[in-house]
Amino acid sequence: MPYASIVVPAYNAETTLFETLASLSAQTFGDFEVVVVDDGSTDTTPHIARLQARRDPRIRLVRQINRGLAGARNSGIAAATGEVIGFCDADDLWRPEKLAAHVAHLQACPEVGLSYSGSALIDERSLPIGHAQRPRLRGVMAEHVFKRNPVGNGSAPVIRRAALEDIMWWPSTETQRAWVFDETFRQSEDIECWLRMALLSDWMLEGVRGLLTEYRVNPGGLSANMSAQLASWERMVTKLRPAAPAFFALHEPAARAYQLRYLARRAISAGDGPAALSHITRAFAQSRRPLAEEPLRTVTTWVAAHATARFGDAPLRFARSVLGSANT
Amino acid sequence: MSSQTRILHLLDDATPGGVTRVLDHIRTCPLMGRTAQHKVQMVPKHGTLPECEADMIVSHLSLNWRRVPSLIAFRARHPSLPISHVEHSYTEMFTALNVRSKLRFFAMLRTAYALFDSVIAVSEGQAKWMRRRQLVTERRLHVIPSAVALDGFRSLRAPNAQPKIIGAIGRLHQQKGFDILIEAFRQLEGQSLSLHIYGTGPDEARLRAAANGDPRIRFMGHVARSEDALEAVDIVAMPSRWEAFGLVALEARAAGRPVICSGVDGLSMSAGPSATVVQGFGVAAWQAALQAATAKGQHTSQDRATSCESDFAQAWHHLIQSHTQHAAQTLSSEAATAMA
Repeated sequence: MPYASIVVPAYNAETTLFETLASLSAQTFGDFEVVVVDDGSTDTTPHIARLQARRDPRIRLVRQINRGLAGARNSGIAAATGEVIGFCDADDLWRPEKLAAHVAHLQACPEVGLSYSGSALIDERSLPIGHAQRPRLRGVMAEHVFKRNPVGNGSAPVIRRAALEDIMWWPSTETQRAWVFDETFRQSEDIECWLRMALLSDWMLEGVRGLLTEYRVNPGGLSANMSAQLASWERMVTKLRPAAPAFFALHEPAARAYQLRYLARRAISAGDGPAALSHITRAFAQSRRPLAEEPLRTVTTWVAAHATARFGDAPLRFARSVLGSANT
Repeated sequence: MSSQTRILHLLDDATPGGVTRVLDHIRTCPLMGRTAQHKVQMVPKHGTLPECEADMIVSHLSLNWRRVPSLIAFRARHPSLPISHVEHSYTEMFTALNVRSKLRFFAMLRTAYALFDSVIAVSEGQAKWMRRRQLVTERRLHVIPSAVALDGFRSLRAPNAQPKIIGAIGRLHQQKGFDILIEAFRQLEGQSLSLHIYGTGPDEARLRAAANGDPRIRFMGHVARSEDALEAVDIVAMPSRWEAFGLVALEARAAGRPVICSGVDGLSMSAGPSATVVQGFGVAAWQAALQAATAKGQHTSQDRATSCESDFAQAWHHLIQSHTQHAAQTLSSEAATAMA
């Protein structure tokens, strides 16, 4: 049995899957399997997975009727045999040394259940756009996960099987396998899972240095589903609040302010001034903690939101190049 | 009688609750008294531990960094005496919800546990956690599920076949999760149902506010005898956020009251195979579980935890025997060495 499994949820991913799988095959730590979960694709995704499996026997394909990202990851976990399980979405890439770094981290630190790294952001041509997610790596508490999600994205973590089993449950409506990710979520399924692990298990979440994931951002479709994103975030809060009411009483306003600031930054990226302004205003109404904890980024967002609302996307390029990324 | 092994139990928190009840049982249970003589000694929460005269010491103390130096001194002053520790408090979910620096906390537990000849987990769930976190070596880890005298519970009249009263028994503290229960109950239809909450504690005002004048929810205060509380209810609900053992679940079993509980730590095991385990702390999930439990007629498949007290006495007997025999051997071999 391989030491590591890498779960690749794939839905209509024919344009990127080949490159994703090639990046996994090129890992310097070789004792792994790749479980590609074809989540009911209507394109050539399963065909590409099979082709790659012929070249690299460590790759195998699992198929299912469409259940969404969380459902595909859960099926991948059920099929995986490794001691540690990593996740790589079918449009993201792993740098060659990524798995080795996380395996070494998890072996050296038995209390760490989830190991993650920073990510470099790439565009649709897989070229770096010059921005990165550089999260806090050490001393990560549940409130850090809640406020700033240091894990960052769904292709960043490698997780110990025992930690996944600790937060696994079997919903009464489920007949096939247990859930780790909550399949009733269409967004925020990542952060819901990491926060649940941080709050309801005694595993530590910790990062390793380096930008070991290449995370693809699509320029379109950013602001369209912002209200849905906020709604699913609020649903996560409603779901987890009863587990630790004192924690939420303490950190919820600040976390919501960060969430609103994030949405404001995405609205700025999309050139949507009114949405940016509305989000950043609501963020300040919730809590001033982001201002105290991350003054530069918060002020930048506030200025950019006002500038975008006033002048459209003209100041955007300037603000971006001078003051940093609007993608994180 | 005078040749009986003398066991001294150390306790630093006399607040009425699970730990004091288990110790009362240890002290008074005739089965326990058959093989050893058990005494309980109160010690201060902080500072030096007293010199003790016994064949074996059992700590029921609450461990923390401030306690560690006095434990080291205590160990040094009783070098050849077997000393065990019963872990009544700490579990995986306790750690998850209460501990900020997990590494520091695990280091404290490893340091403290290393001073004892054995560490006793009160449930399999807790022992599993101790093994996984490597808090104590396998050889020194024992599991003895807690027990109290249950005959009074077994002789209670059977609950109503059509359940009407849901009981919640315990300290009014976030640990017990009664806030979840109140919220779930308030969403439950049915005017003939009621929720009776037994106990007192720091969260009482908050819980009363959460009940928000729902006349079906009643706060019954503290009862001296758990039997009285259990006799008055048809179902017992335990949405605990952490629970090393969960004595109320065991008592409910003995009283033939169905148990609905959360799946944390050792609780589901203590509640027995017929208990309904609710995953997570979702209000909707709890409402559904309460609904199902009150809608159906009751199963009378309750096992009444028949062998609980004898299993407990037996497990303690084995533990005491293994320690005192070992100590005797060590002493005689030391004596032999000295003679030589």
